[in-house]
Amino acid sequence: MGAGGREVSISLDGVRDKNLMQLKKLNTALFPVRYNDKYYADALASGEFTKLAYYCDICVGSIACRLEKKEGGAVRVYIMTLGVLAPYRGLGVGTKLLNHVLDLCMKQNIGEVYLHVQTNNEDAIKFYKKFGFEITETIHNYYTNITPPDCYVVTKFVAQPQTKK
Amino acid sequence: MGASLPPKEANLFKLIVKSYETKQYKKGLKAADAILKKFPDHGETLSMKGLTLNCMDRKSEAYELVRLGLKNDLKSHVCWHVYGLLYRSDREYREAIKCYRNALKIDPDNIEILRDLSLLQAQMRDLAGFVETRQQLLTLKPNHRMNWIGFAVAQHLNSNGSKAVDILEAYEGTLEDDYPPDNERCEHGEMLLYKISLLEECGMVERALEELRKKEPKIVDKLAYKEQEVSLLEKLGRFDEGEELYKKLLSMNPDNYRYYEGLQRCMGLYSANGQYSPDEIDRLEALYVSLSKQYSRSSAVKRIPLDFLSAEKFRLAAENYIRPFLTKGVPSLFSDLSPLYDHSGKADILEQLVLELEHSIKTTGGYPGRVDKEPPSTLMWTLFYLAQHYDRRGQYDVALGKIDEAIEHTPTVIDLYSVKSRILKHAGDPVAAAALADEARCMDLADRYVNSECVKRMLQADQVALAEKTAVLFTKDGEQHNNLHDMQCMWYELASGESYLRQGDLGRALKKFLAVEKHYADITEDQFDFHSYCLRKMTLRTYVEMLKFQDRLHSYSYFRKAAAGAIKCYLKLYDSPSKSSAEEDEEMSKLPPSQKKKLRQKQRKAEARAKKEAEVKEEANATAVSKSGKRPIKPVDLDPHGEKLLQVEDPLAEATKYLKLLQKHSSDSLETHLLSFEVNMRKQKILLALQAVKHMVRLDADNPDTHRCLIKFFHKVGSMLAPVTDAEKLIWGVLEAERPTFTQLQGKSLIEANTLFLEKHRDSLTHRAAVAEMISVMEPSKKKEAINLIEESSNNLVSSDGALGPVKKWRLKDCIAVHKLLVTILYDHEAALRWKVRCAEYFPFSAYFEGSCSSAVTNSSYNQMHKLHENGSPNESSLPLSSNGNVEKLEGLKDLVIQ
Repeated sequence: MGAGGREVSISLDGVRDKNLMQLKKLNTALFPVRYNDKYYADALASGEFTKLAYYCDICVGSIACRLEKKEGGAVRVYIMTLGVLAPYRGLGVGTKLLNHVLDLCMKQNIGEVYLHVQTNNEDAIKFYKKFGFEITETIHNYYTNITPPDCYVVTKFVAQPQTKK
Repeated sequence: MGASLPPKEANLFKLIVKSYETKQYKKGLKAADAILKKFPDHGETLSMKGLTLNCMDRKSEAYELVRLGLKNDLKSHVCWHVYGLLYRSDREYREAIKCYRNALKIDPDNIEILRDLSLLQAQMRDLAGFVETRQQLLTLKPNHRMNWIGFAVAQHLNSNGSKAVDILEAYEGTLEDDYPPDNERCEHGEMLLYKISLLEECGMVERALEELRKKEPKIVDKLAYKEQEVSLLEKLGRFDEGEELYKKLLSMNPDNYRYYEGLQRCMGLYSANGQYSPDEIDRLEALYVSLSKQYSRSSAVKRIPLDFLSAEKFRLAAENYIRPFLTKGVPSLFSDLSPLYDHSGKADILEQLVLELEHSIKTTGGYPGRVDKEPPSTLMWTLFYLAQHYDRRGQYDVALGKIDEAIEHTPTVIDLYSVKSRILKHAGDPVAAAALADEARCMDLADRYVNSECVKRMLQADQVALAEKTAVLFTKDGEQHNNLHDMQCMWYELASGESYLRQGDLGRALKKFLAVEKHYADITEDQFDFHSYCLRKMTLRTYVEMLKFQDRLHSYSYFRKAAAGAIKCYLKLYDSPSKSSAEEDEEMSKLPPSQKKKLRQKQRKAEARAKKEAEVKEEANATAVSKSGKRPIKPVDLDPHGEKLLQVEDPLAEATKYLKLLQKHSSDSLETHLLSFEVNMRKQKILLALQAVKHMVRLDADNPDTHRCLIKFFHKVGSMLAPVTDAEKLIWGVLEAERPTFTQLQGKSLIEANTLFLEKHRDSLTHRAAVAEMISVMEPSKKKEAINLIEESSNNLVSSDGALGPVKKWRLKDCIAVHKLLVTILYDHEAALRWKVRCAEYFPFSAYFEGSCSSAVTNSSYNQMHKLHENGSPNESSLPLSSNGNVEKLEGLKDLVIQ
């Protein structure tokens, strides 16, 4: 990929209130939804779990997560959005973003990552399966304005690193 | 010092002096009071006490004491010296010089006073005096290096370079052979380089080169050595050696344009206007081909050929130059190439070339003739370039189309929004431009540049309050607005002043313009410390350069703009003075008593409030100081809105102050003399106005403003009464002698001259407007004719050779000026309305003419787009969001975009 086989570097950067607008611009371009303030507050609160991806110093994609506390105190990660600008797809940006979050889960002993996918979105399901995600649940009539209105819950249970003893 | 005192007090006196030097002011004050207890009239003690108090911010006491001290002991050089120091601390250098001279009359060989005097003389450019003082210092202390150097520099500044060389050589003669010691090698090397530059300046080039080479081992700055050497070789006509040396310099820095220029000069391949014969172009081409092989990483070596190549060869070189930069994503590519747009035909070639790249990337994903695909960003950078290209060509609609396409492609690149903002500004919509700049700013709140750019756009759109708020985001907390002033943020003050002037708020406008003027005074002031510092540090070449820069400081454009702005304010103030208090009283007397009382009360309350606010501020400042310790107290601005500035007695006298600076430093600017004309016509200074007209004719006889002033002047003069007094007769005599020197008027009436001017510039809108205005001035009955003259102008296409694309000739700002002429001078509102409708068609983005695409129109595309942006998503209506929960449900859609 890339021009003439040149290696183009993709780098990640955190989201802060100084560059929050970059994430907003991306979301406006990528999703037919306007996210509310809670989304951005969650994203900022998730710290390292929300990242912008830069291709040649251009912000082209993002992953935004929310950290959820389960009963019993364990933490799981909900991926709110993951997206890459159309012209920059197929360059490994999405993979880099998702791997970053999975690595982080591993390091922080977080066992569960999940998200929602519309049932007919086969490309997405294939993409996540590549990373070891599985369909764990189907929710009917999840969406109100698009067809099909059903979605899958897609989950990955992250294997914890062997504790060396 | 303190000689007249008994031993105990004499010691105390010494303590005062020492305390002053070590800044232990309280201690000094105690000692002084101890002496004064016994000898209350002791002059020198009184003076020293005053000087000490001056450093403790007790100015008025200080002056009182120092003057009293001097009165009590007029024969003391100490008292005079102290008086001089006091004046110096208040920047009253002329007074200070007088005091020092008096002190020297009493004690002619006082080194300290002589040195202080020499600094003041350098500052005030009293060059003859400077030479004299420096000579005296050298005579007194010839074993000090600084005295030799100081004397030489003084001679040099006083235009006696060869004398300066002699002095430096004499100084060298006093040195031992093994000089300099290791820790002074740099200083000595600088001195040698200075001497050599002096030799060069005096035309002793051969000797300079000889000296340079002889002293090579002692010169530390090797780069300066080589640059000096090559300059001398060139002057001596030793071009082969020069060529070699330039190549050596290029191998050290292959991106220095001056080295390339020098190399070309040595090879006989340089022309200042960039015009070359075909043969020269071939040789240049060959030269740069070989250089680019040597310096493959230099971008200068690739960029320079674009200047001299043309047609097909230019095309090829340009394409090779542009391609990698678009791939890499270099936002400054357009500014790099924009000078080429002034070369005939190159704009067309660039347009064709980049359009082909765009087409190829869109269809094949790569550049023409290449198999490799380009990264996705290349298309965006290509569109980015094209948008700026069409902007430069005046095709704003195409430019906006390209930039919108780029934003659609990659909406996260800030530069795209900045450029869109600039296009909208050029197209005549400052409000939309400010909104776009604000959008750019929001995308990186930590970037001072986009913040500043946004502030500037807001000021251009007359949103001063908003601009101020935005600007202070990047100043230090606390004393925010002042901070912009303290940082000498002149672009801000100028833009803000201009906006206030447009809005008719003369007080605030003047405040800003005068603030800029103050900065220039401060810059002049700032050189003071360098007079002693540079001599000590031996940075003589840069020191002299700095002094020369200071001498032409007031010719810089920021000063010019500030002075012109201030003069315009004063002219407006003169034409429509603000209400004086007498007039206000008169107005008040017309009111019924009950209302009068109310109004009075209101005024009193407002005054009291203002006073209280100022006090609170002062207090806050005082506490801030006591907390932070040493910080000097900042005086509260008693006139934050410039109201006091409006109450000047004689606005024209104020204007004249700044006019004089403009005349002295910017005599080649037409605007200077235009302002001089306006000021002096109002002051009835006929001869000075005539002088202004003559300057304008000299600078640009065909300029519409020149024509206006010329006709207005002689029309006014022609309507004056016959002279009565001797002075008036004298003026008439001069006018009679001068009139025939204007070729435009020879043997013609003013009306004929006006018609002739029209014949000469029939196709130009601005000239026609000037002629029309003059018709209305000279023959008010022919106003209709004047208006017809304007309305019958036609807006043709520009010739296609230059930078502009296929656009019409009229410029927006000229059309606005014509509209204002119709409204304010010709008073024809119907014609003005017709003009506005016509121009709205030519300039659809113009907010002034309320063009259909401008922000001034409610259903314009700009406003619709903006509404959508505020609401975030274009599809919002199809996906109503009722609650937080719903939003999350929709997040599943994100996966649609992952492939």
